[in-house]
Amino acid sequence: MKWSSTLGKRSRLSALGVALAGALVITACGGGSDDSNEESTTNARQVTVYTGRHYGIEPVFEAFTAATGIAVRFTTGSDPELRERLAAEGDNSPADLIMTADAANIELAAAAGLLATVDSDVLRDAIPAELRSADDTWFSLSRRLRVIMSSTQRVTNPPITYEAVGDPQWKGRLCLRPSTHPYTQSLVAALINNRGVDATRVIVDSWVANDPLYINSDTDILKAIANGDCDVALTNSYYLGRLLAEDPAFPVRLTWPDQDGNGAHLNVSAAAVTVAAANRDEAVALLEWLVTDGQQLFSEANHEFPANPNVKPGAIIAGFGTFVADTRSVRELGRLNPVAVELLSAAGYK
Amino acid sequence: MSHAMTGKTSAAIGGWVTIGSVVALFASPVVVLAWSLLEPDTDVWAQLWRTRLPGMIVDTTVLLVAVVCGAVVVGTSLAWLVSAYDFAGRSLVGWLLVTPLAIPGYVGGFVWLDTLSNVVGARGVRSMWLCAAVLVVSLYPYVYLFARAAFADQGADTLAAARSLGCRPFEVFWRVAVPAARPAIAAGAALVAMEVLTDIGTVRLFNVSTLADGVMRVWFDSGNRGAATELASALTGAAIVLVAAERLLRRGARRGRRASETPLAPQSLSPARSSLALFGLLIVVAVAVVLPLARLVDWTFEAAGSGQSVTVAGGVGHHAGNTLMLAGIATLVCITVGTVLALVVTRRGRAARVVGRFATVGYAMPGPVVAVGVVVMLAALDRRNWLPDGFFLVGSLVGLVFALVTRFFAVGYQGVEASLDRLAPSTRESARVLGSGSVRTAVAVEVPAARYGLLAATALLCVDMVKELPITLLLRPFGVDTLAVWVWQATSESLWVQAAVPSLLMVVVGMIAVGVLLAALERGGEFAS
Repeated sequence: MKWSSTLGKRSRLSALGVALAGALVITACGGGSDDSNEESTTNARQVTVYTGRHYGIEPVFEAFTAATGIAVRFTTGSDPELRERLAAEGDNSPADLIMTADAANIELAAAAGLLATVDSDVLRDAIPAELRSADDTWFSLSRRLRVIMSSTQRVTNPPITYEAVGDPQWKGRLCLRPSTHPYTQSLVAALINNRGVDATRVIVDSWVANDPLYINSDTDILKAIANGDCDVALTNSYYLGRLLAEDPAFPVRLTWPDQDGNGAHLNVSAAAVTVAAANRDEAVALLEWLVTDGQQLFSEANHEFPANPNVKPGAIIAGFGTFVADTRSVRELGRLNPVAVELLSAAGYK
Repeated sequence: MSHAMTGKTSAAIGGWVTIGSVVALFASPVVVLAWSLLEPDTDVWAQLWRTRLPGMIVDTTVLLVAVVCGAVVVGTSLAWLVSAYDFAGRSLVGWLLVTPLAIPGYVGGFVWLDTLSNVVGARGVRSMWLCAAVLVVSLYPYVYLFARAAFADQGADTLAAARSLGCRPFEVFWRVAVPAARPAIAAGAALVAMEVLTDIGTVRLFNVSTLADGVMRVWFDSGNRGAATELASALTGAAIVLVAAERLLRRGARRGRRASETPLAPQSLSPARSSLALFGLLIVVAVAVVLPLARLVDWTFEAAGSGQSVTVAGGVGHHAGNTLMLAGIATLVCITVGTVLALVVTRRGRAARVVGRFATVGYAMPGPVVAVGVVVMLAALDRRNWLPDGFFLVGSLVGLVFALVTRFFAVGYQGVEASLDRLAPSTRESARVLGSGSVRTAVAVEVPAARYGLLAATALLCVDMVKELPITLLLRPFGVDTLAVWVWQATSESLWVQAAVPSLLMVVVGMIAVGVLLAALERGGEFAS
């Protein structure tokens, strides 16, 4: 009798275990309510943004809220992280608008069917055709150029083409961003678009042969030039703008590449409304504001060139002079991204 | 009698159902990954094999060997010094040597990266060896903790006998103490190996391309979740081999001292040697903890002084609050489910133990791999629309907690299981014979007896959860940013100054958890000082 009751109690422990495991499963299935309910219960207009741009984005959103009364909730991350996140969340994504720092990732998101088309004359009028997708899914917010940077102290004749960066005289003197970064991938995708895979492979091989120092930050690359760790590098132009704003005597000079050829590699920061958008009107409003009333603030916050040709660039970057940019490749960067990634890894680019 | 049989059968069924559901829950992300191997994307594999995969395997192997060897040498010798010798400040230093656990490798990493780049240049600083050194400094405490517990368990008589047989001090250490402590050192080394295999934050800083980093690359650079999944499965295979190797090393486990033997008594050192020992150990503490902390504080003041903003969107409170909330919930779930599973497993015998192990497989998987598995699984569930409208798993708090618990379940479960094992079987039997039921035995006898083990596991889990990066990064619900996410975003743009404040806060939380861990170990008698 004693035994049976003991065993009976023993089974209770198991029952408790089953109950706990069950509770865990049930809780798991009831999840997500905290996020989704929040949106439906608040009456104030708002828009939820996934942004791959971090710098100075908060004051821009604040200005938008002040102008329109629409609140902006946002989360940051790298472009590919946000894209993969959007893909995994599918229709349940809280994101209304996605902003990327690079054209390839937003095009890849469009190709994956994550972006909605926006039929807006405001957007079409503000943004030149080559800076928005053919199917009206994504629109550029600013232009960014990947250029040649060199030391003003140790380099008298900087390279003037992407090809020349692979010249043996820069062996051990070159700094590049790793191939994990979208900027590197898009630069190579643009080279492929202009010159084909084989010619691009020769260029990338010559860069790799120069034993570059890979640094995963354009700012650090420029500082490495200033510190004498390398003499020549490829970075986006606005990073120098930022450093010159802090120290006008910063010993790095900018050279516009390929001015007699295809022009400097042009990439864009871009934005698009998601197919999952619960606040589509607000998202479109933010998008339109960013390329019109907010365009100056948006581009100047990061020393970038405006995407809207009617808006003037800031004083520091205007000082970099006029240049020819490769406008034909922008819309091809997404399509050629996988080719570029494969080429980079085949070439042994870190 | 038939009544008893029914009770016994239902207990067995209940027990196995419990074990089965927990294992099914936590092993499912791995099953999802393994599933993908049935239809491998041969193109991607061929391309990987031609290009980066060989390099990844080499980098992973070299880093693994270097860090594990380094951590074993550093951790074991520090533990021996503190266990076998007595000197001024020994007790305090013995504690301080554990504190590097509170400093994540990627925080120590960016501090040293910046500090040393002024000395060896930007090129020299990005090296495999510095990366290994940073990881050794942040991970040796695992070996140190296990080795100290093992040395404390060794009999003084054996060591005295070795000495009287003419062994010099180093020989006593090398030929007697170390072999006896081998299983414990192996257990510590296995933890270090897992941390190295699963690290993504530190290796990226130093341009070291490991397999875990490769999973992130393939997933995000190529947007190829399928290929990332396959690479992830391969990595998990490697981790499982490592776990098996550790089991083999443990197999020769010798019993510690006999009950009659007196425990190891530390030898007093002469004043000169005593200060030398203290000085040497303080240098280790300085390098591992004081210097990084000083640099972080310095950056914070520098930023505050120049009027730079040191916070990010949402502010410090938001990030710190989320870190505490997430670490708290995930730790609690881990410990609760772990305790229940351990209790059930100890009642169901050897087979149950083997099956129970499968629930811990997440610990052998890098964070990004767990994240891939969980995303694939939860997204599939979401697509079936089993949940009411507006409810979903991907991007929900529940999805994130599930992934975190899957990843770290081993830490909670094995900690509890080990404590329960130490309980003499007679204690449990006596309680039962005296008429205490299974639940009552568990609540009144077993859990209280294992309380320090539970507390230690809780503290260790907290340290892990606070540091955790990739899973939180990829699965956090909208608007839930943690300190680790903030550090990652700032360091990925080399904004060290902006990474300083959240890093400091993480270290503070980690230090508190390490303090609790040490107190629990000391009370539990595993860490006699």
